[in-house]
Amino acid sequence: MALSKAYPARQFRPRGQTATFVQVLLAGAVAIALAITGCTKKRFDENDNSLNLVLRANVKGLDPISANDLYSSTVIAQMYEGLLEYNYLKRPFTLQPALAEAMPEVSKDGLTYTFKIKKGVKFHDNAAFKDGKGREITAQDFIYSWKRLADPRNASEGFWIFDGKIKGLNEWAQMVKAEKANYDTPVEGLTATDSNTLVVKLTGVYHQLPFVLAMPFASIVPKEAVEKYGKEFLNNPVGTGPFVLEKPTDWVRNSKITLKKNPSYRPATYPTEGAPGDAEKGLLADAGKQVPFIDKLVFNEIVEDQPRWQNGLKGNFDWFDIPKDNFENAVKDNKIAPELGAKGMALDVTPALDVTYIGFNMTDKELGKNKLLRQAISKAFDSKTYIQKFLNGRGVAAQGPIPPGVDAYDDVYKNPNAEFDLAKAKELLAKAGFPEGKGAPELTYEALSDATARQGAEFFAQSMAAIGIKVKINSNTWPQFQEKIKGQKAQIFGIAWGADYPDAQNFFQLFYSKNKTPGPNDSSFTNLEFDKLYEESLKLPAGEERTKLYRKLRDIVADESPWVFNAHRLGYRLVHGWVGNFKWTEVANDYPKYIRIDAKKRAELGSKL
Amino acid sequence: MIPILIGVTFLTFTLFNLVGGDPAIRFAGKHATVERVAEIRAELGLDRSVGEQYLFFVKQIVTFDYGRSWATKQEISTMITDGLGATLSLTVPSFVASVAFCILLALFAVYGRGTILDRGTVVVCLGLLSVSSLVYILALQYVLAFQGGLFPISGWDPSWTGRWEYLVLPWIILFVLSLGPNILIYRTVIMDEVFQDYVRTARAKGLAEKHVFAKHVLKNAMIPIITVVVIEMPVLITGSVLIENFFGIPGLGGTVIKALNDSDFPVIKAFTVISAMAYMIFNLLADVLYSAVDPRVKLS
Repeated sequence: MALSKAYPARQFRPRGQTATFVQVLLAGAVAIALAITGCTKKRFDENDNSLNLVLRANVKGLDPISANDLYSSTVIAQMYEGLLEYNYLKRPFTLQPALAEAMPEVSKDGLTYTFKIKKGVKFHDNAAFKDGKGREITAQDFIYSWKRLADPRNASEGFWIFDGKIKGLNEWAQMVKAEKANYDTPVEGLTATDSNTLVVKLTGVYHQLPFVLAMPFASIVPKEAVEKYGKEFLNNPVGTGPFVLEKPTDWVRNSKITLKKNPSYRPATYPTEGAPGDAEKGLLADAGKQVPFIDKLVFNEIVEDQPRWQNGLKGNFDWFDIPKDNFENAVKDNKIAPELGAKGMALDVTPALDVTYIGFNMTDKELGKNKLLRQAISKAFDSKTYIQKFLNGRGVAAQGPIPPGVDAYDDVYKNPNAEFDLAKAKELLAKAGFPEGKGAPELTYEALSDATARQGAEFFAQSMAAIGIKVKINSNTWPQFQEKIKGQKAQIFGIAWGADYPDAQNFFQLFYSKNKTPGPNDSSFTNLEFDKLYEESLKLPAGEERTKLYRKLRDIVADESPWVFNAHRLGYRLVHGWVGNFKWTEVANDYPKYIRIDAKKRAELGSKL
Repeated sequence: MIPILIGVTFLTFTLFNLVGGDPAIRFAGKHATVERVAEIRAELGLDRSVGEQYLFFVKQIVTFDYGRSWATKQEISTMITDGLGATLSLTVPSFVASVAFCILLALFAVYGRGTILDRGTVVVCLGLLSVSSLVYILALQYVLAFQGGLFPISGWDPSWTGRWEYLVLPWIILFVLSLGPNILIYRTVIMDEVFQDYVRTARAKGLAEKHVFAKHVLKNAMIPIITVVVIEMPVLITGSVLIENFFGIPGLGGTVIKALNDSDFPVIKAFTVISAMAYMIFNLLADVLYSAVDPRVKLS
C-alpha cells in the first residue's frame, strides 16, 4: 500500500471502464486457450499395441560405444545386439545366446573362447548398404566393432570391459594412437576363422567376459554405416535388434524417440522356462513364440517427477516409477493403494542391484589410519532410519557391498559395524582416542546440491553429533563433486554404485587397490590381503569356492569399514492392467521385445483414467 | 562491441577453468584409469597450454564453429538451433502478450491512481510476486492439465503446426508469472511521468485526461519502458528451465543446465557467446527504438 500512498488520488475514477477492459482481455485469453485445446483427442486406439515408456533423463546418442548412461543404453539395446543376452525370466540372472549360435566353447585353460555366430542374421535395412538392404552379419563385424570400442580416438567409456583382457587389443589401440595401425591391422586375440566363427584369446582368465558381452558396449555395428555417417553415426543407428529407428527425425532430441518393429528381425523366441512362480503368474503363456509382440515402441524423456507421474496415471506410459513425493498416496502397507488397484494398476517391487554408501577417503590422515574411528562412525549411522526418512522405506539396510539379486548375496549376514548402536559407537570412539568426541577432528562431508542429498548430509551430521563428532557439509555441483572424489580431495562423501552385471566381482572391484580413484575405488582403499584374495577370486568360476572367497572379502571390508554401508534400494513401479509379460529386469535392457500390450483393454481401462 | 565480447570470453574461460571441474574425469566414466583420463584430456585438447586453449576458443567464436558437445557428441550448432526454436516458441508469445497487457494495465492503474482499482492491482501484483514460480507450475499443471484435462500434461511436437497444443499452458503460466513484476515496474515508470511539468501544462491547456495519457504520458514513458523490456529480453533465449522441464519442452534452458552439470565446456562457450551477442543486439535495438520514440535521441 505504501506505493499508492506516495501519489495523490485522482478525483476521476474510471472503474467501470477498466474492469470491462480486463474482463474482455481475460475472456479472450480463455477463449483462445479453449479453442486450441478444446478439441479433445481420442484417448487410446483399440488397434494400437505400441509400448510407451518413460525415461528420467535425456538420451545423448545412439552409438553403442557411447552407451555409458542407463537411458542412452536402454534405447541402444532395442536396436543393437551382441553375442549374448540375459534370459528374460530366469533368476538369478542367466545368460543365453543372442547373435551367438550357442554359448561359447571355452578352452581348458579358460583363455580361448570360440563363438559360432548365427547364420542369416541381417542388419537393419539402411542406405549405407548396397540397394539399401541389410547385409548378413559375420564374425568380422564383432572384431570391427570391438576395435572401435578400443580406438582411443573414440574415447569410449566402455573400453574397460576389454581393457587389458584381450590379447593384443591394448597394443593395437596404442599403435592406432601413434598412427601405426588401422582397422585392417590384425589383433592376435580377435580372429575370425571363417565367416561365422569368432575366436577370442584372453591375456588371463576373465570369468566375467560373458557378462560384459551382454552389455550394449559389446554390440555389433556395420562398418558400412559407421563409414557412411561418420560422426553422425550416433544419430543413424543401424543394428540387428528387434526395433529400428526408421528415420532420424523419429528421434526428437530431449523429448522422445519412436522406434518401429524390425520387420526382418532374426528368429528369437519368448523363453520357455522361467523362475519358480512365473508360470502361475501367466508369464509363460507366450513361451516359444516369436518376439517382439509390439509394433511400435516410444521412449518419452521427462526429467521432472510430477509430469512423469501424472502422465503415468493417465495411462500415457504403460509403467512408471513412483516418485518420492507421491509414494504415500500410491503405496499403503507396502501394497498398491486401493483406488489405483481398482483402475487395474499393479505394484512391482524389484531390487535395484545397487548399494548406496558413505565413503571415507582412505588417504585422509585422520580417517585412513584410524579403523576404530571409522567403525565408530559406521555404528553411529542408522541406515534403517535413513531408509525410512529418505527412501520412504524403499530399501534394504546394506550389510556389505553385495545387493540382493547378485550371486553371493547373503540375506542372513549381519555386519557387526553396520548395526546401529549408539553406546557401542561411543565406546569405539573412546577406544579410537576420542572419548565423548573430545579431540576428534572436525570432518567434512561432500554432498550434491539437490535437496535430498543435502537433507541426507544433515542426517549424517546429526548422527555424528550424537557421538560428539562435528561434521561440516559442503554442497557441490556434480562436476565439483566428482573432481573432489577423483582427486582424493573429498574426506567423506555420499554416493552409490549400480551393477554393470550381476556378479559380486563388480562390487568387490570397488575395493581393489589397483582400481583406486580415478578408478572405481573411490575410497582409495588399499589392503594387501584383500587384493590377494580378490585376485584369487578372479581366477575362479562361479561356484561354492568363489562364494567362500567372496565372504572373506566381505568380512575384510566390513572390519576395515572404508564405507558406511547405507542401503540397497528397491525399485517401486506401477504397471497398467493392459501390460502383459511384465517382469522387471535390472541388468537387461531388451525387455520391450517380450512385452505384450492388450490394446482393447487399454482403450477400455484408459478411458476411465 | 568487440571489447565486451573479449571480456565475456575471458570471463567464461577463466570461470570454467576455476570452477568447472575436470571434464576428463567426468568423461573417463565410472571405470576410469589414470591412463584413460590422460588420453581423454588429450582427446579434448585439455593437455594444451591455457593460452592455446584460449586462442582455440577465440577461433571458434570467429568461425562460428563450436564443434561437438563433449557429453553428447552432438553437433553444437544443431543443439542450439533445435533448442532455440523450442525456446522461442515458448517465450516470445507470452512475452509479447505480457508486455502489451502489463503496459495497458499499468496505464489504467496510474490513470486511476489511488483508487481501489489501483491499490487492488498493486496488492494482487505483490501477491502474485510472493509465490514461488514452482508453485504456479505445480498447481496449474495439476489443476488444468491433470485434473481438468484441458491441456496435455507435458509433451512436444517438433512440427510448427503440432507444437501449439503443448504450449498453451506453459504460455499461460509464463504470462501469469510475469504479471506481478511487470505491472509494478511499468506502473512505477508511468507514475513518474504523471507528475512532470509537461503533464501539468497539457492539463492546463485544457486537454482531456485520456488525451494527456495517450499523447503525452505514454509517449514519454516509452523510453524507460523500452529499457525495462530490453533488460528482460535475454530471457527469451535462456527460456525458463523449470517450465521446459515440467512440460517436456526441449528448449535451450535445459540444454545449458545439462552442459553445466556435465562440464560440457564447448556447449557452455557457445551459449555464453551467443547470449552475450544477443544482449548486445538487444541493446542496439533499444537505442534504435529510443530514437524512434524520441526525436531528441540521435544515434551517433
